[in-house]
Amino acid sequence: MTIDSFELRAAKPVVATTMVAILLAPVTWAQDDTVQTPEYVVGEQAYPFDTNDPRVKDKPPIELPDSVAPKLNLLTAEESEFLKSGAARRFAGSAEDTVEALEERTPEEVKAWVNAMQDVVANNRYTEGRDLPNIPLNTESPRFNAWRLQRPRSMDPEREPGPLPLGRYGGYGGPPTFGRFAIALSQEDLVAGEVDVAILGAPLNMGSGWRDSGAQATIDLRLFSWGMGGSDQYALIKPSEVLTIVDYGDVAVDNSSTERSMQHVRKIVREVAETGAIPMIVGGDHSLEYPNVAALADVYGKEKVSVIHFDSHYDAWWGEESHLINHGYPVYRLINEGHVRGADYIQVGLRSGGLDKSAFNWMREIGMRYHNMAEVEVRGWDAVIDRVVAEASEEGRKLHISFDIDVLDPAFAVATGTPVPGGMTMREAITIVRRLCAETNVVGFDLVELHPALDPTYKTTLNSSYIIKACLTGLAMNKEGLTTVHYLSPLSSEHATDDYYGDQQKYLDATEAEKEPEE
Amino acid sequence: MNSQSILTRCALVTLFLALLLPPVETAFGQWSAPDELRTQMSVLNDEQTEFITSGAVLEFIPERQLEHELATRDADGLRSFVDDLMSFAAEMSYDPERDMGAAPLNLNARSFNNSALPTPAPLRELKREPGPFSVHRYLFAQSGVPTFGGAKVAIWPEDLVAGNVDVAIIGVPNNMGSGRRDAGSGPNAMRAMDTIATPDMQSLVKPLEALSVVDYGSFTIDYMSTERTVDHVTDMVAETAGTGAIPMLVGGDTSMLYPGVKGVARTHGMGTFGLLHFSAHPDTERFGDHTISDRQALFLLLDQGIVEGSETIQVGLRGPAVDAETLQWLRSKEVRYHTMAEIRQRGFEEVLKRMLREVDKGPDAFFVSVDVSVIDPAEMVAAGRITSNGMRIEDVTRAIRHVCAAKDIVGFEITDMAPMLDLSRLSVIHSNAVLNACLVGIAVRKAGLDPDYVHPLALDHGQR
Repeated sequence: MTIDSFELRAAKPVVATTMVAILLAPVTWAQDDTVQTPEYVVGEQAYPFDTNDPRVKDKPPIELPDSVAPKLNLLTAEESEFLKSGAARRFAGSAEDTVEALEERTPEEVKAWVNAMQDVVANNRYTEGRDLPNIPLNTESPRFNAWRLQRPRSMDPEREPGPLPLGRYGGYGGPPTFGRFAIALSQEDLVAGEVDVAILGAPLNMGSGWRDSGAQATIDLRLFSWGMGGSDQYALIKPSEVLTIVDYGDVAVDNSSTERSMQHVRKIVREVAETGAIPMIVGGDHSLEYPNVAALADVYGKEKVSVIHFDSHYDAWWGEESHLINHGYPVYRLINEGHVRGADYIQVGLRSGGLDKSAFNWMREIGMRYHNMAEVEVRGWDAVIDRVVAEASEEGRKLHISFDIDVLDPAFAVATGTPVPGGMTMREAITIVRRLCAETNVVGFDLVELHPALDPTYKTTLNSSYIIKACLTGLAMNKEGLTTVHYLSPLSSEHATDDYYGDQQKYLDATEAEKEPEE
Repeated sequence: MNSQSILTRCALVTLFLALLLPPVETAFGQWSAPDELRTQMSVLNDEQTEFITSGAVLEFIPERQLEHELATRDADGLRSFVDDLMSFAAEMSYDPERDMGAAPLNLNARSFNNSALPTPAPLRELKREPGPFSVHRYLFAQSGVPTFGGAKVAIWPEDLVAGNVDVAIIGVPNNMGSGRRDAGSGPNAMRAMDTIATPDMQSLVKPLEALSVVDYGSFTIDYMSTERTVDHVTDMVAETAGTGAIPMLVGGDTSMLYPGVKGVARTHGMGTFGLLHFSAHPDTERFGDHTISDRQALFLLLDQGIVEGSETIQVGLRGPAVDAETLQWLRSKEVRYHTMAEIRQRGFEEVLKRMLREVDKGPDAFFVSVDVSVIDPAEMVAAGRITSNGMRIEDVTRAIRHVCAAKDIVGFEITDMAPMLDLSRLSVIHSNAVLNACLVGIAVRKAGLDPDYVHPLALDHGQR
């Protein structure tokens, strides 16, 4: 979308232009000049993008037989029309149901019945003067921005920029960090340290299921991160030796407002991506996919990033209800705002209730590639993984992986806000995540919806840590050029002391070829 | 004029100004730049000096640290440090050209108000006569569907009127607490543990025999916005109270105290009843960036005159928000507060006496509210805003029972119990005990008994 088209949509072009000017300021460094749209609301503006969801449709209208005409005697023409309209179907049901309901009622009762439906439809709609047009904040507060203001560097003793190890023993022994990696607190640190991967927490706590997925998740994952930072046996690689990885701390969020948190998360993720480092965001609820991907689009350009969405839910809800973001909406909002094309979305692991034919038809229409558990049931995981990785590698596209841990079976990840049985195993998850991070061009990753309080065994936190490790492994493989299809170390995947599978020589040769000179 | 001399002049002027400025009043007393640090401060310009000496800086940095910085930084370091703090301070407040002042909504949404639309009568599927009804198949045994205390169910105000209902227990599952969340599961967890409506050990009154009690279901909330929840809950509480029933509200986080009390005040009148509020947290945040939250609930009630400060009693304060400024503000509002420090110092018996005297002297009617954080974590580990060293469950229930028996109760609310945090469900049992304490109190009053009455059979086995 260009500035011009935004102005056409805006009620007050002057205000809109001012907004554009203001909003352009923080993004002038962007590599791609398509970042011109006002991306967020300042002041008390309305949401600047279209809010009509074309998928929200009434059912078709019905015809009523003449036999019920006497029952409709007291209705005005408008009321009669309403009863037959699509809008009335959610109350009165099909033509047969409607006829049956009419027959049970007197004409007076019919009139009251229809008026009640009309009232509900009208009352459900936003009405100026009656309903709040937005969620007001206390703009008089002298501490309005206290939640997100960053600590001036000068408050702490001077140090050189760069990753800062917290421990006394070769970096170990300090407070827990992701993977026991050094911390970085600013873009300056990332640049000075030539950081490859910055892991950051975003403790957003507004999911619709069991809440409290936020604050505890980012901290507990740091406690359970010995696995995250270790070496990998499948590829025989140690990510921390190949990549410079840092703990970038937590992003400030406002846990009373998802909408308000979005822009700040986006800013910090953008700050990471701008340096060329890969942001790995630990949630927090899945609303975070929106600012994460939007930030990547800010840096790499609109419609230049593809997304793989691992989830038991498709998270492309929108438009029916009053809010513009929650953990069920990020996919649609990203598409609606033009950050990602629908056709650049790949969905993996869907199996929740709630999706009807129209949802799947919509995905097909916009070219979204979906790989539901139903497909896995037909084809098996191996085939689906191959297909997903192939799709994700097309045209060397830049890829963001959004991993909702409820894609895992609750046996592996019971500690999540909205678990759905029948999901992936850890073995499948580790394989697909490692392969994607190794074989495709990953520029961002998030892991969301971890909710440690629901799992006193800490298993879910441990598994989440290993999902991140699988991606770190893949990224290290990618950097080392181990990007062939489903690479595994020929040394660790086969003992090769006999010819049991008939391919002993292949493994011996491959091992020999990988030998480093000093060995 | 060279820069050296400008600097010198500035320094002299600044020093002079600094000496003239009166010491700064802070929450902990006065602060003024110690004499030995004035030389260091002389490198700052007027604006910087004013920022430091006005005390504005103390919001960002404790005076101990400030004095350390003044004493140890060189001129450049000090100047850039103060500049950083000043730009930080400048960004604290709202700027309509930089900050979102209100979160936008989808005004085109077909179901914009979905969360607050009770089904109109003509659209209800089943026709029945108004009145509370049982969900149980058997006369004595309960059969599955959990209700508060196994009570009958009522859905509409006409049910309350037809049943001449005394007490309507209602869930308000808002889940936006500022501590750990899951209070939204509170109402159903309390329904699922059948320990409400137990007889009163002191008077042997059975609350469900003495009173007409119903489970009035739960009021719906907008799970993404407390702001959008408040009006609906206020309306529904007012409607409930308007039938003559006492609303007993089960949260939900403590932001729901605001619509709970406000709804009752809409029916009974603002300032016509006192508020007895048990909580570890003062909930009187005056400068919050939101318009409603648990931390602001009591502030809003006092600020809007819904309850009078002089008729508000707070018990059990000890949370992280209790500081001298807050207590000073409560004093200025004439709130009768009783902190854990007072309870430790004087003993609970003494504080209970004092509190009950305050209740006696107060208005005829009271709204009793309990944020479960008031109870010690040993007995209430599922408190969303948990704080160590709290009151014993028995002390809390005893105080509540007495007040509910001694006064006309216009409303009751228990908030912020997050069941997920307590695998043993002891917190649910104790939450039910808190609710039951008031229910029993109301029953004792209805039975015409003195609050202190003890049934002789309960007091003594009578054997010689």
